[in-house]
Amino acid sequence: MSAAASGTSKAAHGDVAAKRKKGPGALATAYLVIYNVVMTAGWLVIAVGLVRAYLARGSYHGLYYSIEKPLKFFQTGAVLEILHCAVGIVPSSVVLTGFQVMSRVFLTWAVTHSVREVQSEDSVLLFVTAWTVTEIIRYSFYTFSLLNHLPYLIKWARYTFFIVLYPMGVTGELLTIYAALPYVQKTGLYSVTLPNKYNFSFDYYTFLILIMISYIPLFPQLYFHMIRQRKKVLGHIEDYGKVE
Amino acid sequence: MDVLALEAKKADIVEPEKKAAPRPKPKAPKKAKRIVYFEVEIVDLKTKEKLLLLDKVEPTATVLDIKALFHKSYPKWYPARQSLRLDPKAKCLKDEDILQTLPVGTTASFYFSDLGPQLTWGTVFLAECAGPLIIYLMFYFRLPFIYSPKYDFTSSKHWVVHLACICHSFHYIKRILETLFVHRISHGTMPLKNIFKNCGYYWSTAAWMAYYINHPLYTTPYYGQQQVNAGLYIFLFCQIGNFSIHVALRNLKIPGSKTKKIPYPTKNPFTWIFWLVSCPNYTYEVGSWIGFTVMTQCVPVAFFTLVAFIQMTVWAKGKHRSYLKEFRDYPTLRSSILPFIL
Repeated sequence: MSAAASGTSKAAHGDVAAKRKKGPGALATAYLVIYNVVMTAGWLVIAVGLVRAYLARGSYHGLYYSIEKPLKFFQTGAVLEILHCAVGIVPSSVVLTGFQVMSRVFLTWAVTHSVREVQSEDSVLLFVTAWTVTEIIRYSFYTFSLLNHLPYLIKWARYTFFIVLYPMGVTGELLTIYAALPYVQKTGLYSVTLPNKYNFSFDYYTFLILIMISYIPLFPQLYFHMIRQRKKVLGHIEDYGKVE
Repeated sequence: MDVLALEAKKADIVEPEKKAAPRPKPKAPKKAKRIVYFEVEIVDLKTKEKLLLLDKVEPTATVLDIKALFHKSYPKWYPARQSLRLDPKAKCLKDEDILQTLPVGTTASFYFSDLGPQLTWGTVFLAECAGPLIIYLMFYFRLPFIYSPKYDFTSSKHWVVHLACICHSFHYIKRILETLFVHRISHGTMPLKNIFKNCGYYWSTAAWMAYYINHPLYTTPYYGQQQVNAGLYIFLFCQIGNFSIHVALRNLKIPGSKTKKIPYPTKNPFTWIFWLVSCPNYTYEVGSWIGFTVMTQCVPVAFFTLVAFIQMTVWAKGKHRSYLKEFRDYPTLRSSILPFIL
């Protein structure tokens, strides 16, 4: 009786799991493939733009201007990822995806675009390079996964390159925000002072400092989460290789 | 009366005949039905270490009884702190679940996990409500180190600021009194860490709102006294409505019982919204905060109202879903929180 009963319950659990694991429909898959292909191509355009500008100038200073428009376009295009999670065609957390995407969109528009003096900083190039490599790998990983033909190299790159790229990107982001602080304080950019009819004040300078502080607890969480994911995804394959 | 007497007499006459009838042979006493006792093994969910083996557990024992027995062996893990499940990945078992109805044999393995220190919901509610009440008053009286020193212990020249303080204090005093005397909380406890999360949210938003409403540079609403009055009327109407719903829900619950009933409108007109909405207490609560927003014309209050509305919509949808699942005859006209919309 016991075995049968527990067997039934396990089967039921299995069904639920199967239902949950069932991916998006054919139409949604087709759309996601197109979206990921376009985004991969977009970030490749940015990468090519960076390389061409570097070869033409012979210097890495001020390379941002050569890729400004595609960077803004494709980084803003990532906002659709939040929508994908909200609609349910991608089984990720809306909140988590929202935070990750909006932090980058914020940096693109509210810092780099808004504070012109920052655009020539080397730190901008640091996070743009990190983002570019990360996104090319990530979007191509999603594309191949959706097509059920995931090359091991891309899988390995997705779960290995972040070890260097995440700290590199975060360093670039923090240095860029830090570089923007004096200009924000001087101009009072995006700041609202009392009195006003909305009875609300906002100090963008303080807000940027709080954003920088928030990196302290958030970055390690994300980084170690990715390391755990790496162990889970690549661990058993590497162990198998060692045995052989 | 006479008829009854006659019937009684008839019964008396018939009685001796009954007695005269031969007695049937007494049947051989049946063997007492043997109770099949259960053997319950409690295993640590993380380490898979066997923590306790309970033999001779009655089949009618509930999960709560098993928790109590486990508590005897491990005093630090009181029942509210325990989570028992049949499978490491399965849902936690309810305290009311009966052992013999569970999908287990006569030997049952339960997986134990520690939920951490627990607090009663009442305690959490009181902490949630007392904080904003005190914090708001600190800003209202302009205690030192909040605004610049020249404003310490000064009072606002705007009547709406005093009115807002009265309304805010009234709201939280009402909530405290309801927690103490009206609510019958069906949930037992919640984890200790939740109090920090909940209080952190309520206290910080109260401070944020209070800072701007009581600010020396506060600007009165754009449409003046008319807007203040409109906000006040909405606020008071919804507060009375909210209280009425809480009383109606209280009267629906029998103390100590977990049986649930469909809430219906009563004679009180404020409860008539039950025809249209499953959780009118949330509808009125959101209405109160909308009134407060109109009255104060303050962005932080509007933001708090929006977040509260989103959160209450999530709760209301959950409650509405559970009503639909539980009661077949649940009124189809009802929405979760906003009539005909949400």
